[in-house]
Amino acid sequence: MKVFVFAENQKALLELCCGARQIGERIEAIVINSQDDKDTEVADKVWSIPQQDNAMLEDYTETIAALLEREKPDLLIFEPTKRCKLIAGRLAAMAGTSVMTDLIELTKEGEGSHLVYGGAAIRKEKLNTSLAIATIGPGVLQGSKETGKGEIELFPFVEPIRKIKVLNKEQKPKLSVNLPSAKRVIGVGRGIAKEEDLGMIRQLADVINAEVGCSRPIAEAERWMPKETYIGVSGLMLAPEVYMAIGISGQVQHTVGMNRSKVVIAINKDKNAPIFGQADYGIVGDLYKVVPALLDQLK
Amino acid sequence: MNIITCFKVVPEEQDITVKPNRDISFEKAPMTISAYDLNCIEAGTQLAEANGGNVIGISVGAKKIDDSKLKKNVLSRGPESIFMVADDKLENIDTYQTANALKAVAEKIKDYDLILCGEGSADLYAQQVGPQLGQLLSLPAINSVSKITLADGKAIVERTLENELETLEISLPAVISVTSDINLPRIPSMKQILAAGKKSATIWSAEDAGIGNLSATLGVIETKAPEQMDRKKDIVQGDSEEAIKSFITKIQEVLK
Repeated sequence: MKVFVFAENQKALLELCCGARQIGERIEAIVINSQDDKDTEVADKVWSIPQQDNAMLEDYTETIAALLEREKPDLLIFEPTKRCKLIAGRLAAMAGTSVMTDLIELTKEGEGSHLVYGGAAIRKEKLNTSLAIATIGPGVLQGSKETGKGEIELFPFVEPIRKIKVLNKEQKPKLSVNLPSAKRVIGVGRGIAKEEDLGMIRQLADVINAEVGCSRPIAEAERWMPKETYIGVSGLMLAPEVYMAIGISGQVQHTVGMNRSKVVIAINKDKNAPIFGQADYGIVGDLYKVVPALLDQLK
Repeated sequence: MNIITCFKVVPEEQDITVKPNRDISFEKAPMTISAYDLNCIEAGTQLAEANGGNVIGISVGAKKIDDSKLKKNVLSRGPESIFMVADDKLENIDTYQTANALKAVAEKIKDYDLILCGEGSADLYAQQVGPQLGQLLSLPAINSVSKITLADGKAIVERTLENELETLEISLPAVISVTSDINLPRIPSMKQILAAGKKSATIWSAEDAGIGNLSATLGVIETKAPEQMDRKKDIVQGDSEEAIKSFITKIQEVLK
C-alpha cells in the first residue's frame, strides 16, 4: 500500500509517517516548502510544494489534488486538525469518496474505527474507493523506528480557483497545562458547587503532582475552566497513570476520554454513579469532606 | 437573501442502549434534530433577522425523517419552509452521499446566498458534509466558524481553530460550518410553535431529486459499544472519618 501523509504541524507529520509504516510499505510525505531534513528521514519520498505568500494552508488543496491525481496513493492520512479536516473533505468530494475522521484505530486492511453516538459505540468502517482518506491522531499508530531515506521532489503550486481572504489572525493564549502528557490528572465535574471551590481541587493537584481537567459541563455550561481542558468526546482523550474523578458521574461521553487510564480513582456522593463501575478505587462520599481530608493527610 | 440551513435527523443520543453482546439498540431512541444543527438553524435565523431574508431548512435521509413533529420543531425555530429528500434509499448514507443529496436539494431551490451546516452530526460527527458540499457546489467552504456577519455579498467570519483565531472574508454564496459556540439556540415561543403549523414542507423522493443511484463509498463493518476495562472496583461506602481513612490508605500506595 502506498500511503501519503499531510499534517499541519511538523511533529505530527513525523509521528504519522513513522506510524504509517504499520499500514503501508511506501510512505510519502507532502510538505509545504520543506527545508527541514527531518521530514525526509521518516518518509520514502517527500513532495515539497513551494510556499506561497499570504496563503492559507487550505489554499494548497488544489495542489494536493493534482498530486493525488498523478501519483495515485492508496491511502492519504491527515493530522486531525480543523484545517486538515476541511482540506480532506474537499479532496474527498473531488475524488468521489468519504473521509474516515478521528480514527482511534487503523488496520493494514484499511479498516478504521472511530467513536460514534457521543462515545457510546465504536464504529468500524472501510472505504471502498481506490483512494482512502483518513484523519488520525499521531498517538494512534504506534510509531516504528524504521526510517526512510527520502528524496525530495518539488511539486508545483496550483492556484486555487476560489480564495478566502484572511483579514486577521491571532494566536490563542497558550494553556499552561499540558493534560495529554500529564502522568496524573484530576477531573472535576458537576459535583463542584461553585467556581471558588476549584481552588481546593488545585491545592490537591499540587499535593499529588497532578494536572486538572474537567467534564464538558464545567467548561461549556459553567465556563469555569477553559474549553481545551474538558475530557471526553470532542475533547481530550487521556491515558494518564492515575486519573482521579471528583464529582464526576461518569457518563459515557466523559469516560471515553479517560477509560484508558492505568488507575482510576473516583469520589462521588451518589453510590449509583456509573463512574464507580469504571474505577479501581472509590469512595461514596461528599467531596467537600473527602478532598479536605486528602489534602490534610497527603501533604 | 435566502439562507439554507442544513439539519440532520438523528436518534436521541441519551436513549441509545447497549445490549449484552455490546450491540447498540435504538428501540427506545426517538428521532431528533442533531444538536449542532440547532446552532446552524439559529445562526441562519439570526442572520435573516439582522439582514432581512428568508431561511430554508433542508434535510436528507430515510423516509422516517419526514415526521410532522420534527418538521414543526425546525419551522418553529425560524425557517419559513422545509425541503427534504426522505427516501429509504438514503438510509445510513455516508458523508459523500449526504453532501451529494444536499447538493441536489440546493440546486432545486436554486436561489440561495448562503448555506449553513453544523460542524458535525451528533451521531457520527465526521465533520465532513460542509466541506464536501462546498466543493461539490464549486463554492467556497469553511469550517469551525464561531461568528458570522454579512456585508454586501460577503460574509465576515470568525474561525476558532486549535491554536489560532482567524477573521476571514468570504464571497457569497458559500458553505459555512458553524460550531456550537456561535449561539445559544432559542426555545421557540408558543406563538412560533403555532405559526410553524402553517409553514410549508416539500418532500421529495430520491428519484424526484435525481439521486436515485447514489452508491456508498464507505462500508460499515460493525458498530459496538466499547469493551469495559477490567477495574478493581474497590469502593468505600460513606464518608465517616473511618471510611475516608480507609480510602486514603488504599490510594496512598497508588499516589506514592
